[in-house]
Order: sequence, then C-alpha cells, then structure tokens
Amino acid sequence: MSVIDKIFEKAKLNPQRVAFPEALNEKMMQAAYEAGSEGYIIPILVGDKAEIKAAIKERGYEESVFRIVDVNDEEYKTLLVEKYTALPDTRLKEKALRRRMEDKLQFAMVMQASDEADVTFAGIDYTTGDVLLAGQMIIGMKPGIATISSIGLCDIPGYEGSEGSLLAIGDSAVCTNPNSEQLASIAISACDTVKSLLDWEPRCACVCYSTLGSGQGELVDKVTEAVKIANELRPDLAIDGEFQLDAAINPAVAKKKVGRESKVAGQANVVIWPDLNVGNVAVKLIQQFGHADAYGPMLQGFKKVVCDCSRSAPVSELKGNIVISAVRAAGEKR
Amino acid sequence: MSRQEILEQVLNMVAMSYKKDVSELSESTSFKTDLNGASVQMVALVSEIENELDVALMLADASGCETIADLIDLIEEEL
Repeated sequence: MSVIDKIFEKAKLNPQRVAFPEALNEKMMQAAYEAGSEGYIIPILVGDKAEIKAAIKERGYEESVFRIVDVNDEEYKTLLVEKYTALPDTRLKEKALRRRMEDKLQFAMVMQASDEADVTFAGIDYTTGDVLLAGQMIIGMKPGIATISSIGLCDIPGYEGSEGSLLAIGDSAVCTNPNSEQLASIAISACDTVKSLLDWEPRCACVCYSTLGSGQGELVDKVTEAVKIANELRPDLAIDGEFQLDAAINPAVAKKKVGRESKVAGQANVVIWPDLNVGNVAVKLIQQFGHADAYGPMLQGFKKVVCDCSRSAPVSELKGNIVISAVRAAGEKR
Repeated sequence: MSRQEILEQVLNMVAMSYKKDVSELSESTSFKTDLNGASVQMVALVSEIENELDVALMLADASGCETIADLIDLIEEEL
C-alpha cells in the first residue's frame, strides 16, 4: 500500500470538517464531492447558499454529501463573531472582523478558528499569498514559531531510508532565506507535521555543505545556530546537525563522518534545507533523477492546519491534498 | 482625522505591537532596520489599526511599508 493510500485509509477512520471558500469553482467542488462521498472528509461549502445549491444541481451532485454555510446568514455570522472574539489572543474586534469576513476565505478561516471547521482548503482562485496572509491574520501563528514554512513528502523509488522509500523535506516552497531562528522554526514545525500526519518519531537533520565543522563559513554558522536554537526551544525533539545530506540519511557515511552520538545522523526521516535555493533545486533533483512522487507543499507554522493548493492542480491532486490536510488536522487534535 | 492625529495613534500602536517605548519612535522609524520585526508583530499592528482607526488594510501592503511614514500614507489613502 502506498503512503498516500495509507493516508486515505487513515482519513476514513476520523473524517474531519473541511471548509471550502472556493466552493463554486468546478474542480474544487468535484474534489470536495469525491472526498466527501467516499467518506474521507465532511465537506462544508462556504458561499452564497442559492448559488451553491444551483451549482450542485447543475453539476449533478448529491446535495446531502455537503454541508452548506451561507455567508449571508446574519445569525450565523453573529455567532461566529462572538465565538471568534472570545478566543484568547485574537486581536480583531467585531467591526474589523466583520469587514474581513466579507471575504469568503477569511470567513472560512474564522469558522475554523472558532471550531466550526477543522481545515480551510483554498488556493485555486485565491493566490498562495492570499492564503498565507489570511492565515496569519485570522488563524495566527503557533506560539514560539518565527515563520510560516512548508514541507513535502517524497516517495523515492529504490531509496531505502529509515522510513523505507519515504523522506520528508522542507522548506522547498515558502520561506526564501531563513535566518537561524526561522530555520529552527522550520525544523520544529516539520517534526510536528510528520508526527501528526504519519505518526513518525521524527529524526530531523539540518543540512548544508558541512558535517560538524568539516566546512566553515557563515552559511554553515547559520545552520549550526539553528540546531542550537531548535534544541533549546524543543528538547523533546530529535533535531541535529549540521550534516551533509549523505551523513544525514546514510548510516555508513554517518559512521565515518559523525564522530559522536546522534539519534539523527544516518537515519534522518526529515531533512531541512538551509534556504529556498537549495530546497527548490533539491526537490527538482529528487523528482527528475530520483523519479520521486512529491506530495505537498504542506503549510506549517499556523495554529491550525491551513492548506493551499496549486492553481493548476488537477482534481486528483486536489483530493489528495484535501485528505492530507484533514489527516493532519485530526493528528493535531491528539 | 489629521495626519498628526493618525501619527500619534499609530506610534502608540507600533509601540504596543513591537514592545517599544513610544519615545523611541518617529515617522522615519524603519520596520526592518529599527524594529527588526517578525510578521507576527505586523499582524498585531494591522489588527490594531483596523480596530481603532476603522480602516481596512491589506497585510501585504502594510508589510511592504519601509517606514512608519509609509504606513501613515497607506492609512490616509484608505481612510
């Protein structure tokens, strides 16, 4: 069974409520319908009720698969405003919040923050920037986390690592040039993400061109410092480095190059790149030469799971990402 | 509202969001070099401005402001 099949199975055991603020988009509605009718999620369509109902009918879907939330329902809006403004550490007051809720994406996120939904899934009409900014304004960042970032999950044919053919990598998509503090946040978030999604015991390596001082320079110092910060902030997590990639994932190389005890060296299941140049090139290398499937990017660092998707994504990819985000949300509740 | 009035209010909000003393701040204070702020603080500031000045700001636009003066310009445009 492939990793994605396993994630799908897991979703079915505990279907989560996923809010879709781009409900009228044809691909989005189809993906929500398939994921809902097959029992992976409870899809909540957020928008103008009459328009949504008409679109469901026109496209021939069974309406009972969906829950529909009408953004024009003043009573419900008031309930959301009350719930949201009563939350600790929310800053927006009623008037400002209501103004922001005119936007469906932010309306859906207010639902999520108020525990009326478990996930907000968007990004086919909205841009990644819209989703990231709305997520920061409405959902907020996890305490102690310095940046929003992302990880991807690679399934690499022929790779025999500590999780078989799987390797989680980050950040290959969001944070361009992290400083040490931000890099530490990426590593910490990545550990939490793989725990909630895959039940892994994370072993996270921060990689660069040096293994424990074999190379010198500011690019190395940034990574060494990040490991130190991450270990201080979260001593419960196995985050180690700085390692070269081979020392991180290959036990034989680790034995030769890493002359000290490490829970991570040679058996990392999470690899953190020093910046986005490395991250983007690396994921392309893994795909082009390693013929890997790469799932994601999964956004991380928010208080609750916020999910973005590619604007050109086909329905099958949308569905996969919807189910992944639902499983993460279920995992974070534990 | 006059620019001076907006400035006074915004300086107080910046001081609160970035945990600075208001006496250290002026129109020429730079968000990046002087305040060294993270996006969390900008979110707090934008929320505060929206609450108190009754204006809608785009977080992206606010994050693009170099100095407090730029932010005041942006607010004046939106008011």
